[in-house]
Amino acid sequence: MKTHDLTMPINNSQVECMEIGDTVYLTGTIFTARDMAHLEIKKLLAKGEKLPSEFAGRAIFHAGPVVRKVDNGWEMIVIGPTTSIRMEPHSQMVGELGVKLIIGKGGMAADSKAAFKKFKQVYLQAAPGCAVQLANGVKKVVSVNWLENGMPEAMWELEVEKFGPLFVTMDAKGNSRYDELKETATSKVKEIYG
Amino acid sequence: MENFNITYDEVVSLVKNMCTTISPDALALMRQAVQNESNSAAKSMLQSMLDNVEQAGVKDKPVCQSPGFPTVYIRFGDGVDLSGLTQWLPQAVIECTKKGFIRPSIVHPLTRKNPGDSSGVGVPNIEYQYRPGQSYLEVIMSAKGCGAELGNKSMIMTPATLGDNFIGLKKLVLETVVNAGGMPCPPSAIGIGIGGQMDVSAKLSREAISTRDWRDHHPDPMIADLENELLANINKLGLGPAGIGGDTTCLALKIAYASTHTAICPVTINFHCWVARRFGVRFYADGHREYLFQEVK
Repeated sequence: MKTHDLTMPINNSQVECMEIGDTVYLTGTIFTARDMAHLEIKKLLAKGEKLPSEFAGRAIFHAGPVVRKVDNGWEMIVIGPTTSIRMEPHSQMVGELGVKLIIGKGGMAADSKAAFKKFKQVYLQAAPGCAVQLANGVKKVVSVNWLENGMPEAMWELEVEKFGPLFVTMDAKGNSRYDELKETATSKVKEIYG
Repeated sequence: MENFNITYDEVVSLVKNMCTTISPDALALMRQAVQNESNSAAKSMLQSMLDNVEQAGVKDKPVCQSPGFPTVYIRFGDGVDLSGLTQWLPQAVIECTKKGFIRPSIVHPLTRKNPGDSSGVGVPNIEYQYRPGQSYLEVIMSAKGCGAELGNKSMIMTPATLGDNFIGLKKLVLETVVNAGGMPCPPSAIGIGIGGQMDVSAKLSREAISTRDWRDHHPDPMIADLENELLANINKLGLGPAGIGGDTTCLALKIAYASTHTAICPVTINFHCWVARRFGVRFYADGHREYLFQEVK
């Protein structure tokens, strides 16, 4: 099991050497996006309009922060992962955007697994409920889009430094730690109750 | 009419403190889990969670970015004036949102419009429970994470599907835990409501895990055995903290039941994340307060 200190953006060969069980720390720019931000991106793409940011080689964090408005922008209070499965319907789109890392909690399903393999992406599990610790790695709130959808649903561009720890739980080869565990647990249930 | 000398400021301080730490009973179970965990990755995940609680306390920040959805259980006896509390609870939630302790996460269910201050129809959800003859006023508030809600399940079982020795129910619980995987921010706590009609089982499932001490034992030995059996078996599944594998999948499992109709057995399985933001206070007429879920001396 390796530890990867990555500076964003990253390329396919960096993604391909990441294996399940590895630990990752990120430096550079990452974007938060949950349900509404994904839908906003989808709308812009359908209309053929320009996206607010370049996502190729970047990380999307399924998260909604607590931030405070200050004179010259925003102050990060805390941030942590939200349940990723809600973003499963957008796996193909996120792959086509060139996003390399998807950070969240709970993992994703079959469509994402296929997309991770096809587009060379990796899923990273953040520690759930560890919002103070994760916020320590956020150096600056760079910008915000779609704030009209509310603080959690807006897309926040964050400058991070040694952000983590994050754990590789789905790789670019189609492996999923969640699927392995589910399979073992399902046979265990049969063993216990028939 | 008795109002137990409760003030708005006291309510605000209870709500604020609820956000910056976790309930002492949950904290005690987490500490025990770190000791007992045999998987090294899981052990360090649990340790991170405990470190985060400590940092939140030191920095006076919310433990988790997601404030969940607030529910308040008000259990009152005769001649109690609840007008102040009823007005102050939503106000306190709004004030704590403005101060950065609660992320504004309440939206209209269809338009998804976010008012930006945690106000809204039915927020917080207040459950008034009249207890004839009870001299004190009990208020339990819980903010339960909503990623956890994604794994919840309601089912109307029947005598046939319930099965011998409730095996159908037991399998349903374990299969629901497997399907929920890492979604409820494990180590989770699980409330199971059984009986009534569908709405009753759902309410009981939330109440069981939100109002009982996570270390207690059900007074009915048959239910206590069922709770123990399910908890032990869930922790044999290997799903682990954050759903990345390990021994610690569930911290507590609490069942509440009501009688039902002879044709049905409604069951709801309700997940709670490990970040147990809640408080419980008993207000007495002489002015003193008793705080629930505290450390066992």
